[in-house]
Amino acid sequence: MTFTPFTFPATVTPLETGLTVVHHHMPATPVVVADVWVDAGAALEPVEWMGMAHFLEHMVFKGTQRLRPGMFDYAIETQGGFSNAATSHDYAHFYMALAAEALPTALPDLAELVLQAAIPDAEFGRERQVVLEEIRQAQDDPDWIAFQALSEQVFPDHAYGRPVLGTEEVLLQRSPAEMRRFHQTHYQPANMTVVVTGGIALEPTLDLVRQTFRSFPAPVASPARQTGQIQPWWGVRRQVLRVPRLEQARLLMAWVGPGVDDLNAACGMDILATLLAEGRSARLVRELREERQWVLDIGGSFSLQRDCSLFMLQAWLEPDRVDAVEALICDRLSTLALQPVSPAELERAQRLLINDFAFSTETPGQLAGLYGYYDVVASAADSYSYPTRIQAHTPTSITTLAKSFLSPNAYASTILLPTAER
Amino acid sequence: MTSSPPVDRPLLQRRVLNNGLVVIVLENPVADIVSARLLVKAGTGHEARSQAGLFSLMSSLLTKGTRHLSSLEIAEQVESIGASLGSDASADYSLVSLKTVSADFAPMLALAAEIIRYPSFAEAELSLEQRLTLQGIRSMQEQPFTVAYNALRAAMYGKHPYGLPGIGTEETVTQLTRDDLVEAHQAYFRPDHCVMVIAGRITTEVAIALADQNFGDWAGPAHPLPPLDYPAVPTAATHTTIAQETNQSVVIVGYQTPSVKDAAYAPLKLISTYLGSGLSSRLFVELREKRGLAYDVSAFYPTRLGLSQFVGHMGTAPDNQTIALEGLRSEIERLGKVGLTAAELQASKNKLLGQYALGKQTNAQLGQLLGWYEVLGLGVEFDAVFQDMIRAVSEDMIQTVAQQYLKDPFTVVLGPHL
Repeated sequence: MTFTPFTFPATVTPLETGLTVVHHHMPATPVVVADVWVDAGAALEPVEWMGMAHFLEHMVFKGTQRLRPGMFDYAIETQGGFSNAATSHDYAHFYMALAAEALPTALPDLAELVLQAAIPDAEFGRERQVVLEEIRQAQDDPDWIAFQALSEQVFPDHAYGRPVLGTEEVLLQRSPAEMRRFHQTHYQPANMTVVVTGGIALEPTLDLVRQTFRSFPAPVASPARQTGQIQPWWGVRRQVLRVPRLEQARLLMAWVGPGVDDLNAACGMDILATLLAEGRSARLVRELREERQWVLDIGGSFSLQRDCSLFMLQAWLEPDRVDAVEALICDRLSTLALQPVSPAELERAQRLLINDFAFSTETPGQLAGLYGYYDVVASAADSYSYPTRIQAHTPTSITTLAKSFLSPNAYASTILLPTAER
Repeated sequence: MTSSPPVDRPLLQRRVLNNGLVVIVLENPVADIVSARLLVKAGTGHEARSQAGLFSLMSSLLTKGTRHLSSLEIAEQVESIGASLGSDASADYSLVSLKTVSADFAPMLALAAEIIRYPSFAEAELSLEQRLTLQGIRSMQEQPFTVAYNALRAAMYGKHPYGLPGIGTEETVTQLTRDDLVEAHQAYFRPDHCVMVIAGRITTEVAIALADQNFGDWAGPAHPLPPLDYPAVPTAATHTTIAQETNQSVVIVGYQTPSVKDAAYAPLKLISTYLGSGLSSRLFVELREKRGLAYDVSAFYPTRLGLSQFVGHMGTAPDNQTIALEGLRSEIERLGKVGLTAAELQASKNKLLGQYALGKQTNAQLGQLLGWYEVLGLGVEFDAVFQDMIRAVSEDMIQTVAQQYLKDPFTVVLGPHL
């Protein structure tokens, strides 16, 4: 196949304050996205502050000394835009999409919210109720329960094993003053990347960001983070959970993969996930769903986080098939570590991933998310090295990765079964 | 957004082939991608009650075998060039869509024509999909919102086909046969009943030529389709309770509201925006931000050819379910008494029109929207007409429509204390 390397179309500008600006001008669109990424995810929490990073993300929208709760949302949305935010273990980010000409009036407010969050006492208790509702809703979702249980199993001594949402018990003990400390500690320029994509040129963007992202909170110390360690293990860690109202069993199998210090290998893990479980001609989908018909569905995922990556296979199936499917997957992984994949099979996975990359870099919003995420876990420019790294893999390199990382003798599995019949 | 800088909007062309197939082309060279979709003017809303799930099953089988190709061969052709090919059935239409890099477009369109025109509906694939569908129907029981919403839909629509989930029911899906699929395919998949949209880095001439080459000799039946006749819906509102040991209660209210072709459509879209869209929406501010009752609280009013519904919903702690139901109802029904102020109406218009623009950023999104307007019988011009209709809505229209439709809701509460 012909392959045209992708060149990084954005610029990365470090400002004097330590803040990083990533910008990509897309002249054909009237839309602009501004996305503020902060190295202030749940991995920075002490254990007794579990859930703080996410709860803070909610409280940021409760305003500042000047902006009353809801004023920002109202202003953005009545101009035809929208804003939202998300938190994971490695980051919190706050974004808005709107007409390009509205950016100069909207960005100062977004900056003020993020940098000068007031965390009003009166709003704290009420918003905590909202977060507790979010937790209750998650606890009614079997797939959330399964992933959470698996994470605890894979990362017993690391923050990645703790829920980003926290728990009711811990959240009820937290105070607005503690949250302000967490905010002042981590919402500092060196921990922040502002991504601007869409219909605005570089110079006005940099001017605007310089003017608006300047009043950072005075730094204070928070209780020490308890990120912890990721320990490799030998053998199979297996747990079975009984879950009410479950119609299908779940089988989740996970391996810890290479981290951001080896992006070539990480991209190879994406290829492995694809050739095992992406699309009807993928090995496990074809055999387990189409031919043997042992699963309702099966999927693979590879997620890159800062401290390590997670390779996961997930099947939805009848309870009495779980053991057979798990054994078969182990057997097929052994094969993968011994017999090189055919060039055609490898090329199929490579094309799927490279085209998928092209399909998910169309809009300012997609690009802002991509740049910001990479800037938090690695560097923004690494985002566009992805197709080239995918293309560089060979049948031999894939076999080596399968052998090194996808051992059938060392993995974690979480199984959800329906509560026994009453 | 009158002050927006001039931008190159995609060039739109609409042609009708000799067999009646409407072809819409959007030239937009910005990305090296072409997306295409074929929309069929028939969906789950065309199903007899005894055949619920027919269109959903048909759409999943389209990609699973043709006169020349097996299921696996189709998958390999698509996946080996890294394209995407999907099919879906909605209430008012069915859809086959594909996306490729520009260089791969011609062979993928030929493959799409093959699966659209000559599906085999092989018995082995049928029984596999039937089994997977039945498991999918059972899986819906795991999601509390879905259980509650299905109950609302059943109560509001009675024997109307919108009353059942598109995937069908255990009883009906078990009964569906190959003959049913063949018959429905012959009846509804016909060129004069379809719209093809091709969008991306391709010229109009090439796109039309490819459409003609692959679909130009597609002949439909001579007789026209019988008109669609919906059964009457229940008129007396009901309250349904569902006991489940969940952590959160789900509270839903539904009001019967008219179709996209009714004069109330634009005012109701604005009311839906005002009440349920975004972080500044009335339900979000009053029930979540001020009272902390919910994480998820929203409203929606889907665009439908037949009778639609205006739905408000939230998830809340079981102890709060009664005040949540009262809160949802009073916020929605309040509009019949007080309407919207001029400022609220203008803010809602800006919000709706801005989000509408943000919803058609990619070729695929814009192509989907225009193709959908075509199969609904509104034409591509509805893209502009709709925005004009929104701008023309007055405060009086909001209040009149709210008084007429936003009263006596069907309600559902699902939770542990019932």
